[in-house]
Amino acid sequence: MSEKTLTAPVPGLEKPARILPPLISGQEWALVGVLLVLWILLGFFTPAFLTASSVRPLLGSIAPIALIGVGMTFIIITAGIDISVGAGIMVTAVISSRLLVEVNLPLWGVIPTAIVLGLILGLINGLLVAYGGVHAIIITFGTLNLFQYLGLRIFGSQTVNGIPNTLEIFGNGAGGRVLGIPVSFTIAVVVMIGGWWFLRNTAWGRSFYAIGGNQNAARLAGIPVQTRVLSAYVVTGGLVGMGALMVVAQGTNSLMQNVGQGRELAVIAAVVIGGTTIMGGRGSVFGTLLGAILVQTVVTGVTQLGWPSNLANFFVGLFIIISVGADMLRARARKKSL
Amino acid sequence: MVDNEVVAEPPGPRVQVTKISKSYGGVKAIVHADMTIQSGRVHALVGENGAGKSTLIKIIAGAEKADGGTITFDGAPVTINSTGEAISLGIQTVYQEPQLFPELSVAENIFIGREITKNGRIQWKQEADQVRELLETVGLESNIAATAVGALSVAQQQQVSIAKALATDATVLILDEPSAILTDAEIDVLFEVVRRLAARGVAIIYISHRLDELFRIADEVTIMRDGHTIDSRPMSELTVREIAEMMVGGILSNQSRTRTNVSDEIVLELKNLTLSGKFHGVNLSVARGEIVGVFGLVGSGAESIAGAIYGMTERPQGELIFQGKAMVIRHPAQAKKAGIALLPANRSQQGIFSFQSIGFNITIGRLEMLSKMRGWAEARTEKILAEEQVDTLSIKTPNTLQLVSAMSGGNAQKVVLARQLLKRPALMVLAEPTQGVDVGAKEEIHRIVTGLAEKGTGVLVVTSDLGEVQRIADRVIVIRNGAIVREFGSDATQVELLAAAAGEIVKVSS
Amino acid sequence: MTQTTGQIKASRKEPSFARGHALLGALQRFAMTLLTQRSALLCLVTVVLLLVMSIMDAQGTLSGPYDVKYLASSTIALVGLAMLALAQLIVIVSGRGGIDLSVGSMVSLSGIFFGFSYGVWGWSLFAAFVATMLVGAVLGGINGVLIAYAGFPPLIMTLATYYAYRSLALVFSDQKPVNSERIQEFYGAAKAVPIPGLSFIPPIPLGVITFLIPTAIIVWIVMNKTVYGRKLYAIGTNDVAALWTGINVKATRMGAFILSGLISSLVAIYTVAQFASARPDAGTSGSGMALPAITIAVLGGVAITGGIGRVGGVLIAALLIVWLNAGILLAIPGNVGAQTPLLALGLVLIGASLLNAATKKRFGGI
Repeated sequence: MSEKTLTAPVPGLEKPARILPPLISGQEWALVGVLLVLWILLGFFTPAFLTASSVRPLLGSIAPIALIGVGMTFIIITAGIDISVGAGIMVTAVISSRLLVEVNLPLWGVIPTAIVLGLILGLINGLLVAYGGVHAIIITFGTLNLFQYLGLRIFGSQTVNGIPNTLEIFGNGAGGRVLGIPVSFTIAVVVMIGGWWFLRNTAWGRSFYAIGGNQNAARLAGIPVQTRVLSAYVVTGGLVGMGALMVVAQGTNSLMQNVGQGRELAVIAAVVIGGTTIMGGRGSVFGTLLGAILVQTVVTGVTQLGWPSNLANFFVGLFIIISVGADMLRARARKKSL
Repeated sequence: MVDNEVVAEPPGPRVQVTKISKSYGGVKAIVHADMTIQSGRVHALVGENGAGKSTLIKIIAGAEKADGGTITFDGAPVTINSTGEAISLGIQTVYQEPQLFPELSVAENIFIGREITKNGRIQWKQEADQVRELLETVGLESNIAATAVGALSVAQQQQVSIAKALATDATVLILDEPSAILTDAEIDVLFEVVRRLAARGVAIIYISHRLDELFRIADEVTIMRDGHTIDSRPMSELTVREIAEMMVGGILSNQSRTRTNVSDEIVLELKNLTLSGKFHGVNLSVARGEIVGVFGLVGSGAESIAGAIYGMTERPQGELIFQGKAMVIRHPAQAKKAGIALLPANRSQQGIFSFQSIGFNITIGRLEMLSKMRGWAEARTEKILAEEQVDTLSIKTPNTLQLVSAMSGGNAQKVVLARQLLKRPALMVLAEPTQGVDVGAKEEIHRIVTGLAEKGTGVLVVTSDLGEVQRIADRVIVIRNGAIVREFGSDATQVELLAAAAGEIVKVSS
Repeated sequence: MTQTTGQIKASRKEPSFARGHALLGALQRFAMTLLTQRSALLCLVTVVLLLVMSIMDAQGTLSGPYDVKYLASSTIALVGLAMLALAQLIVIVSGRGGIDLSVGSMVSLSGIFFGFSYGVWGWSLFAAFVATMLVGAVLGGINGVLIAYAGFPPLIMTLATYYAYRSLALVFSDQKPVNSERIQEFYGAAKAVPIPGLSFIPPIPLGVITFLIPTAIIVWIVMNKTVYGRKLYAIGTNDVAALWTGINVKATRMGAFILSGLISSLVAIYTVAQFASARPDAGTSGSGMALPAITIAVLGGVAITGGIGRVGGVLIAALLIVWLNAGILLAIPGNVGAQTPLLALGLVLIGASLLNAATKKRFGGI
């Protein structure tokens, strides 16, 4: 038999023995490359792009997408999906805004409120998906409508005006920065790191991959599938609550009724572009962060280049196709090597 | 290599099953089974399809519960109500289909569901140490621990499955047809692993059709037939022929057909047909009105021949000559158009459209017959065509609107067969035509097939059902390890066929 | 003794809880039909709806009359909705996760094309019509090729084209609706007309007669009376078995998406008539047109796994939703009334699919 080639722990440098796939996948390296190229090109053609006053709002706009994207990555890894997050943002945003305006809730009150609200929304989704026997896309189509109804009812027939500055720490202004970096972005990165650690180092996190890979085998292996699936949606809900606060903070002091609309697609696009496969069983939150950066870079870049802003959507669509295509090619290549 | 974990060997047998019986519905899968498994020994379990070995194994592994009889473990009677209970006794099964997660690493697959954690955090180092040992025991290099299982070969995946079973301190390891998917070299590795495990005291139940292999690896064998355990003997006391005889039983009526309509006109000729990894150098011919059987056990490669003829596999090398013309078939539509019909082996996956009606299922193969106008489909025509077939094939159904999902195996199989018979084919290929079919429907299907041959169709039956191939085929070609080993006439006995397929080495005398 | 045999017969044919009592047995059979035949259930619910609304109308709690005239005029919303639901029917029945999220964007983009070709470039109505349909077919074909031949998952693929087509519509139209005199006049194609000869039926929006009904009939014919339709159901039920029977699975699947594109282009033309202008956000405003269309398809009995779904069920579901929304508008005045359809749609979708799943598990059927 061959020698053991397992890396023995070096004293003082306790590296975990390699029994997991490598830290950063091929797709993610490719994404980093694409991003670098994009940023260099944009910086070249529009010097304004690389200035702080342009990069900061960019990072801020990335934040809610990347944040919610962490939860969405969990969900998609389990071979599920959540189309209702945009509507969830709306509901949480309008409730939080009204609390800010009418009750003058302070920061340390509105944050837990928003998160709890989001958790409840996530719980509804999770219970229906985990125990209802219906595919997640249909369930979350339904809850999307329900949440929208709820949000619009709370709006009344108007917008919410006069939102105070309470949330400025999550905004794009001067009050929202620490060491020059928008707080919201930092939060998103921290959560992403937490999510990454969770997915890599806990049994709970690894079970998401098992459930998405082969749900039946997961059940046979003793994994409590329903509880785990439920947890993915609940966590996403909490992140939606937090993300809604960021969206509110980054807007004006008036909250429009179309807040959050279409965000679910941006989040899903970020996850998919980041290399998580929609069929489940594989993916990473770091890729999602990169995907979110890519999506927002495209949006900002298009504006800065003076192109019609809607062209951004076209590029997002194109990137989705390229990412998924690359992912499929790689999967096929791997099978052929057997 | 030091074994630092030897399973404690009990003085008596590890597992003993006595007077086991089990029925499904009204059908007795096991009438009476006794078996004694000793630790540290490799115990082979053989029997034809339907003999009851899968059921017996499922009972021991906790996937089924016996109707009657007792099971003792280490001398004490036990009831095994679930696979979980069996696992807690140390009884593990490694199936042919690996229940692994392709995207997770080998190490993770071994530990899934029972990760070593401290405060929720997985202890990778400890897992790595355990994994290293396990991988060595099953003959895998330890640097494979981080590789995603999906990137491994089938043989390696099987080794991972074995490692996974061992990881939970198996006392009894059940291996279900493990060598079916392996190459010769891989089989050597497997046997090495099995011997090593036995040396550590693990009791191994080894199910296999490949009788010759058993002589290399098994210590004793239990033969089952028709739901009974016929005998249990040490391997050293038996020959392949003797085991085959016990598997097959008494002299069964050799219903050889009187050959009437075999013409000289060759419908199908395969010359040196080779599909890498499955079969090689297959030469056979089918004449008009002739029924040629291709008999091979699971894993022999025979099962891929039908798909290769029909364009459902990678393009095979060699020649395929149909009605005198060389053809390269890339797609079933091409074969169909030429006049070749095929009944696929796996009814539920490849044959039936379960939520559709009988009429739909029958006519879906010949949609152009549903109307005089091209592209149209008339419900009335569907009904007429389907009813004709229902009548001819005696399909039990009140009408042609019934959903096929509600039908019994035999009836559903007739529906799929009817699909092929809407237009009489020049060549009819049948793959496992009576698998999962009750006795009555089996007779009827055989009658239909012989009727087809009598009217001039050339028939090729690829099957692993011994009785079937012996009963209806004019000639039987036996396949083993992807190659033809022998050809028999219609006077072949079941024992001869089984022995040839299972690896008996025969001195060719003529 | 006869009683025993009667009981044995009954317990063999019916669920075990029906033991011989004729009325109870009939009721149980009725319930089973409702549970397993979606169209039947929908008809019942529609009848219940009409009854409830009529009662409320008689009690004077509605802000307007819920009468036949109102029902007829409310069907103007039916045209786009039902047609796109039929498009979803085709795509979802084709199986392998078939779904089309891009219909709204295809409507927008085809609509812009129609606006330009008919309104600005001066093509004849016929030429513009045909060309727009070709555009729709190509848009759907892009989906079809990448999904059926390249193997992209439909959900993601149509999500991507949703983005792409939507942005192209806005870019080509410069974000402005395309207006012209010709288009204004086209409005005549959408207003309500009385049916000649059947004067007791109130005026029905012309679009129902000129767009919806022909489309519904053609889709019904395709699904039920053509070879293609059978192939579609086959690949949706079991595409491996379909391959073994010689069906060209990829081409059939691509066809489904092309049909979806075609139908979307028809909806686009109708929408231009309805609003008297070609708006680049015609299909993508709000949450878009794909969601309600999919909701109606699922309500109508289409199984998301493929192979199951009938035109009749989808049409009744569409009618039910439209009349339900119309009723809500009257019953709940003001803004709330405009929003309540969301609640209804959400509850209906979740309820219907849970019902679907439960009955499929226990009884089979649709």
